[in-house]
Amino acid sequence: MTSTTVEASNLRKAFGEKQVLQDMSFGISPGDVIGVLGKNGAGKTTLLELMLGFTAPTAGAVRIFGHESYSLPGDIKARVGFVPQQDELLDQLTVADQLLVIASFYRRWDSALIDRLCSEWGVNVNARIKSMSVGERQKLSILLAFGHKPDLLILDEPVASLDPIARRQFLEQLLTLSTDEKRAIVFSSHIVSDIERLANRIWILKDGRLDWQGDLDSLKESIVRLHIRGAGPELPAFQIPGVLNARRDGAFATAVVRDWTPEAQEALEKGASVQIEVEALGLEEIFVELHR
Amino acid sequence: MKAVARLVWTYFTGTPVLRACTFTGLALIALDLYFVLTQPASGEKLWLAFLGLIILFVGSSLMPVTFGRLARSHSVGVLPGGRLKLLASAFIAILLVALPVGILSQGVVISGARGSLPELMKDPRMRDFILGVAAVTFTSAVLFASWMYLAMWFLTSQRNMAGLFKGLLVIMLVIFAPARELQDFTVSLTWNLQQIAVLWFVFGAGFLLWPRFKAVRARRAHERFAGLARVFTGRMAGREFDVLLGTANPWLLVAALALPLLLMARLVGDVPSAWVFFLTIFSVVTGAYSGQAAERSRALWLRGDWSRAELFVAVERSIWRHNAHVLGALVLAIVGIGLYAGFPTVLLAAGFSVVVLGAVLSTYLGLMITRGLRWLEIVAGVVVMISLMGLGMVLGFEKVGLTTVFALEACMIALAMAFRYIARRRWTQLDWMVCRPDRTLTARGA
Repeated sequence: MTSTTVEASNLRKAFGEKQVLQDMSFGISPGDVIGVLGKNGAGKTTLLELMLGFTAPTAGAVRIFGHESYSLPGDIKARVGFVPQQDELLDQLTVADQLLVIASFYRRWDSALIDRLCSEWGVNVNARIKSMSVGERQKLSILLAFGHKPDLLILDEPVASLDPIARRQFLEQLLTLSTDEKRAIVFSSHIVSDIERLANRIWILKDGRLDWQGDLDSLKESIVRLHIRGAGPELPAFQIPGVLNARRDGAFATAVVRDWTPEAQEALEKGASVQIEVEALGLEEIFVELHR
Repeated sequence: MKAVARLVWTYFTGTPVLRACTFTGLALIALDLYFVLTQPASGEKLWLAFLGLIILFVGSSLMPVTFGRLARSHSVGVLPGGRLKLLASAFIAILLVALPVGILSQGVVISGARGSLPELMKDPRMRDFILGVAAVTFTSAVLFASWMYLAMWFLTSQRNMAGLFKGLLVIMLVIFAPARELQDFTVSLTWNLQQIAVLWFVFGAGFLLWPRFKAVRARRAHERFAGLARVFTGRMAGREFDVLLGTANPWLLVAALALPLLLMARLVGDVPSAWVFFLTIFSVVTGAYSGQAAERSRALWLRGDWSRAELFVAVERSIWRHNAHVLGALVLAIVGIGLYAGFPTVLLAAGFSVVVLGAVLSTYLGLMITRGLRWLEIVAGVVVMISLMGLGMVLGFEKVGLTTVFALEACMIALAMAFRYIARRRWTQLDWMVCRPDRTLTARGA
């Protein structure tokens, strides 16, 4: 058995002339909880669906548990769970029937877990799906992806329709699942605080490329805001490496930079005779600065 | 008014291709009108007008789609006068599509005449006659277009048993009623106007009151149908694949076909060719179920040990399990009616094969739809429908050679094989990012 859950190399996806994803290479290991961030249209759904084999890459390859995602064998599919952005529930069924239908496709289905979650999340198993609210339907979609205890769980904006309480319950459950080191979770969301709370690795997609991939701490250390103060009334002219956004005001300047290191700070302080104070940014601010 | 105008403009010019179709159609119609007005005996140039009409009709094809989407959307409920404006725009679009038919009917009337239209109009009796024909033709076209769009709306927006049932009823009415009127010479301007008024009043009232009706229904329907739904859901164990694909309960479709069949017995009587003709339409609709298979199969992909090619085979089997029941019911209907009305055995056998061919062709045509409806599928669909209807009518002729029938059927078998080959190839490269369900699925088979 391969130790890597997902592996992609030089992945590219185009729809006609439009390049959606370009030159992506990444690996996902068991225990990874990856939060995917990106603006609308950045390619998040395309990336997730490529990983699931719903569509073929234009170039490159994605392998899940060592198998080409486009032609996954059944035993590998049984190790994958997916929560789509738009639910695919059967309107006329009751929740219990829908659970039965989906459970029948899997050899291992944890009915006890699903019963417990139904009870905790307030999902009425006798309710007809047609009469459920968007949030309730989303909860059920999530339950359907959990039941077979997948080793790889992929969630495309799973909490978009949930109220704050349901979101918290869902995140707690996801945290519980993620503590199992064999499991890898990839989820996209626009709610940055959720990603910050849950993910141990962050992917930031920009213009179809992985603009950043790494753990949250490295990201926060790498992208920072600098408060620069000169010795005189006016700041001397100097270049800041990796600057994303800068503003000068007399003897002061602020700049957001990426790939910041203590060495770069030392060099700048000595070279330009300035004092630099480094401010750590939250994930939301980092995301905004990267897209400014 | 501005919103209505904008909607109508969008229906005809929404995409560059439709815009080109609309303007080309109008140009051809105008050209023909010029000939009609200026040249005597200009009948041989009428093909220009017919071509223009068809192109204009294609140009307006965004209307049912846009109307359907907006009608189903929540946003139309919060737009000021949203539903009323939408309804008005659809009515105006239909009037515009039908208008050239009325105008050009004058061309047909005077096609063999020696004088040009302005000359003929000088005679008061001739003028009354020409204008009368134009008015009747125009109103008939409005009526026909209204029914056709209504059928299209039912079949495409409500892709479930109810939509299928309503669509079939409308198609039957559209085909049967005008033919009867022409036979009995009952077409008149007053009668047409009455029909248009009733049709649009009923449809308009239903459309405008639908949100209120829906709210009332939502409160009451749940418990009433819960028992019935339990009967169906109790039968799904072991057939989960079919449930997700929507083919688990063919008896619902058989039941939905029963009423149109009874109506046909009342309307058609014992005319063999008419029976074959209508049953062929039924069989095509039966097969058309498969058009949703590709998008529905997305939910199956991650849940089974099959490649895309194997999934195609599994889906194909599931669809045929479903269709076999419906075809069985249709064949029983043919045999029963044939024996009762004393139809010739040869006709029964040939009719049986046409019905089966209808289901086979439409099933594989549906399975070919893996990237939405494109020109190839639309053209193939039209060709199949015309061929099958033609064959159904040919069977009704008294002096039709069996060799001709078998040759035509052999061609259709070849076509069905070609469709299956294309469908199978497309499924091996099925891309669910391109072919994704655009709305919540409905479990017909539960």
